[in-house]
Amino acid sequence: MIIEIDGKACTCSPGEYLLNIASRNGFSIPTLCHHDGLPGQGCCRVCIVEVSLRDRKDIVTACIYPVEQECSVFTDSDRVKRQRGMILALLRASAPESEEISRLCKMYDAPLYERLTQKANEKCILCGLCVSACETLGASAISSVNRGVEKTVSTPYDEPAADCIGCASCAAVCPTGAISVEENNSSRAIWNRKFTLQLCRHCGKPVGTLDELAFAARKTGVAQTTLCEECRRKAIADEMITAYER
Amino acid sequence: MRPTPYPFSRWSPADNNKFASAEIYFEGRMLMEIMPQEFSSLLEAYPKDRRYALAVMQDMQRQYNYVPREGLEALAEYISRPVAELFSMATFYKSLSLKPKGVHIIKVCNGAACHIRGAVNLVGGIKRIFGIAPGETTEDGMFSMELVNCMGSCALAPVMTVDGKYYGQVKIESLSAIFEALRNEAKP
Repeated sequence: MIIEIDGKACTCSPGEYLLNIASRNGFSIPTLCHHDGLPGQGCCRVCIVEVSLRDRKDIVTACIYPVEQECSVFTDSDRVKRQRGMILALLRASAPESEEISRLCKMYDAPLYERLTQKANEKCILCGLCVSACETLGASAISSVNRGVEKTVSTPYDEPAADCIGCASCAAVCPTGAISVEENNSSRAIWNRKFTLQLCRHCGKPVGTLDELAFAARKTGVAQTTLCEECRRKAIADEMITAYER
Repeated sequence: MRPTPYPFSRWSPADNNKFASAEIYFEGRMLMEIMPQEFSSLLEAYPKDRRYALAVMQDMQRQYNYVPREGLEALAEYISRPVAELFSMATFYKSLSLKPKGVHIIKVCNGAACHIRGAVNLVGGIKRIFGIAPGETTEDGMFSMELVNCMGSCALAPVMTVDGKYYGQVKIESLSAIFEALRNEAKP
């Protein structure tokens, strides 16, 4: 199947998500809540594009829009730019501290709505990527708490979470950097808890937290590693060099 | 304009220290002690499956007037689900409370009809009597007040229920008599 994105013909298979097709063909559509490993959030609405099907032109959310038939897509039309700017202005009001949102706002010339209250000291847009990452990983230490205007992401009872393994995946997927991680040479602090880091026995670089490595070992059934990624690669290469010498 | 804080009793971080154990204390007096085996009888009424989580939590709410932390943790273990997931559920539903509530629960209706006929005045009247706002509990742990949306008895507006018993066309002057009767009734 061939669709047209901003005048360029792109091949795709039916049912594929528009955002994936666009990024594969070199179009950059801004996103916040999208992560390739955790698809289907579809809540930030920053990735909206215009799809022209038959004689209609619709605004769709690219990350969750499956392409079913031939169409032409406009990723940067005036209508898209205007609406994206508006969405970004709303997101900025709920997370004014986020640098990424400020950057996008400037890029899309987001209007200033004076009637919107700016939420103080907030970076989180409640997209749920962190919760989804934690759940997919199998730790499920954080979740959304309360509802409506009071909704936040937190650990149960706001205490250092017993289920947390300190892997910081939540912080890694967060589009706005709302989750604070503090790390020094020997420990990492996240979600009000401090974790001891395992240092690579070869080069001394941190590999991960002890809890994280134990969790990975339990889940995969492979013995806990004490080598960092680079040293592990070297070790395997060394083994392969000598594999046929015997 | 800032969003008004939700008037219903919601869990907030400040509550943690206040109610750390499954025993409910008010002014040093223990009102209710929850035994671990009580949870198991509540839990075992349902199969070990995620979809019964809400039903169990509702039972706890009915039994203790709130969902105790120990109960939530026991349930998580029983159905093999993370505590975080249940905590998220418990804070999502308005009918579940994570804070202990009073022995008597006063619900003041603030639906359209009751609002017009002065439900807010009733709230003010109760505040004068007990010194509690919606979502709060008296110091002696006897009364909790909640503001609810509609109890389906608009013809009786303004409506108030105490422990499920309906009081219609309530006047501020009649409030103290209703509560006094309950307070005497509850004494052992």
